[in-house]
Amino acid sequence: MPHNLRLPAVRWLGALIVLLFGAFVALPAAGAATSGSHPQSIGRASTASVPKVLRVGTEGTYPPFDFNQNGKLTGYDVEVVQQIAQRLGVKVQFVQIPFDSLFAALKAGRIDMIADQITINSERKSLYDLSSPYVDTTGVIVARSSEKNIHSLADIKGKRAAESSTSNWGDIARKAGAKIQTVEGLDQSLSLLQQGRIDVLVNDQLAVKYAIRVTGATDVKIVGTTPDASQSAFAARKGSGFMPQIDTQIAAMKSDGSLKKTYDKWFTVQPKVPSTWDTIRTNLVPMLKGLVTGTLPLTAISFVAGLVIALGVAIARMSNRLVLSGVARAYIAIIRGTPLLVQLFIIFFGLPELGVKFSPFPAAIIAFSLNVGGYAAETIRAAIQSIPRGQWEAASSVGMNYPTALRRVIIPQAARTAVPPLSNELISLVKDTSLASTIIVTELLRKAQDAAAPSGKYLELYSTAAVYYLVVCLILAFAQDRLEGRLGRFVAR
Amino acid sequence: MSDLVQVSGLAKAFGEHAVLKDISLRVPAGSVTVVLGPSGSGKTTLLRALNALEIPDSGSVRIAEVEVDFAKITPGRGGRLSKEQSRLIARYRAQSGMVFQSHNLFPHRTVLQNVTEGPIVVQKRPAAEAAASARELLAKVGLADQADKHPFQLSGGQQQRVGIARALALRPELLLFDEPTSALDPELVGDVLGVMRDLAQEGRTMIVVTHEVRFAQQVADQVLFIDGGSVVESGPPSQVIADPQQERTRTFLRRILDPL
Repeated sequence: MPHNLRLPAVRWLGALIVLLFGAFVALPAAGAATSGSHPQSIGRASTASVPKVLRVGTEGTYPPFDFNQNGKLTGYDVEVVQQIAQRLGVKVQFVQIPFDSLFAALKAGRIDMIADQITINSERKSLYDLSSPYVDTTGVIVARSSEKNIHSLADIKGKRAAESSTSNWGDIARKAGAKIQTVEGLDQSLSLLQQGRIDVLVNDQLAVKYAIRVTGATDVKIVGTTPDASQSAFAARKGSGFMPQIDTQIAAMKSDGSLKKTYDKWFTVQPKVPSTWDTIRTNLVPMLKGLVTGTLPLTAISFVAGLVIALGVAIARMSNRLVLSGVARAYIAIIRGTPLLVQLFIIFFGLPELGVKFSPFPAAIIAFSLNVGGYAAETIRAAIQSIPRGQWEAASSVGMNYPTALRRVIIPQAARTAVPPLSNELISLVKDTSLASTIIVTELLRKAQDAAAPSGKYLELYSTAAVYYLVVCLILAFAQDRLEGRLGRFVAR
Repeated sequence: MSDLVQVSGLAKAFGEHAVLKDISLRVPAGSVTVVLGPSGSGKTTLLRALNALEIPDSGSVRIAEVEVDFAKITPGRGGRLSKEQSRLIARYRAQSGMVFQSHNLFPHRTVLQNVTEGPIVVQKRPAAEAAASARELLAKVGLADQADKHPFQLSGGQQQRVGIARALALRPELLLFDEPTSALDPELVGDVLGVMRDLAQEGRTMIVVTHEVRFAQQVADQVLFIDGGSVVESGPPSQVIADPQQERTRTFLRRILDPL
């Protein structure tokens, strides 16, 4: 076991999350690679004005550059962008996207510019319009405090490292011969390092120092620096044409001292380490907002749409028409036979390659509705088939055809039978919507992640999220009892 | 008196097992026919064929103006019929009203709604008119004050009488009763048989499958004894019940009337 574990459970939870996410990084990365052939790399730079609403992509989990504090996106990069926009008289709309999806999002036109400590290198210079640098920094090598053999990049050959796969630091570590495990961000690699799951990480010295200060970690230390100083810049699509105007403002901010002032605010002043209670308290409302504006509507809309699909599929499945019932069987088999997360990724990351692009929220709605449709179809079919044959015969006898008998006689009774299993599915769905956090829907878990990244308080914040989920599910279970009673009141027992 | 129902050469097999073999039958308008027979004799299948709940393999049935030649009705997979065929079957079915052994009332609807369901939903009669005539029918079967209850709140005999009112509400030419008292407690049987006798006295055409021999003696114009899917003996009750000609009929009646 690793050393100096103050709160083992915190680390374990963090590691679990890391493992979960580590597995999924591959897909967005693949998306980035394929959309790289977008025909937008026109060589000659033309000039164009900065969009009236500048959409800026940032990961939002990289303190002190960009992160969520008290439910609000803030940090050095965020403030610099805000000041530039103010000077230019344009509005900024920040879009939070995992680091490894940032360049894909830029190419896909979901955002206009990236502000996330993009280190200037020759490859990026050729692929993107880069601004002039707005921060100078250097890379550092971080290892556990007990580490004795790592002092420079030369020593990390063959060591286990954790990096974002498309980051500059990842490239450096890879070239130095480290075995790279991909993660979403620095907070995750730091946790892995503390847990002894990796040996080393390479990252920005400003970010590392900040993280060590904020989390008060004593079990990791900076053991060396990368040879070259690095400079960070904003990135836009090649040929976007508005970088000269951004550069003008960066220059102005350098000369009037405002860039330095912002720098000092984030990098030299000691950050206040909030207490556990403060962390939870300040995030209660943002997380509740995530629940109310993300999790709940996602659940409600998907469930209703899913039930409609399920009813149609159940009826098709019972049809005498071989093609119709075959299609229904195949649909159910595919939905039940593949992970919900994979379905979600195919719709959000996969379909855009076929030219079908959904925003995160609609993509999540579609994935969850289809999923509920597949599962609930079997529940509804079972409920319909549990209605005694005599009811069908009585309906026929009074002259009803099949659809009328279904609607007037069978489904109202089947509804009673279906309530418990469908409630199960609804309660599962409430929790399954947390998967939408992976496609950047701002729901409850995403809010918890945003809060956990800068503070490192995984146990506290994820437990708070768990309590929110639990409360919602308990309320639903109570509602289920009431509904069963209501629907069951005409049935003799 | 003209025949309301004319059944000729009706046959039906479930797989290898022939349930109906060449059954023919005439029912004069306004008469009561009681069908007797041991269980498995095919009497219930015959009744269900008259309401198209079973589709016979061959033979034909005419009820009032509607005649169906079942040799030409050929259900596909899962009993699916062509549009034309199902339209004919729907017209045929509308000629008769069925009262089931286990009543099969709709548990989620009130007594009144059970009776008005067919008239409103299928026959598209105005709701107010359907409700008014449903209340009359409920009064006729002695349940005027139960209209707003749900089926589970009623006794078995009351439920069966709602079933009768539901069948009557469709204004069929012919009423079919499938062992309407077999599932009832003995002390509730009389109420149901009483209602059926009243209907017979009104001149309704009825076919009743039952084991109530006394009811047959008192009410039936014609008794049919069926065994093994064929009509063994038929005629007025004074003949078939009081003086059966066939040994099988005699054995059956002895078992029913004197089980020990």
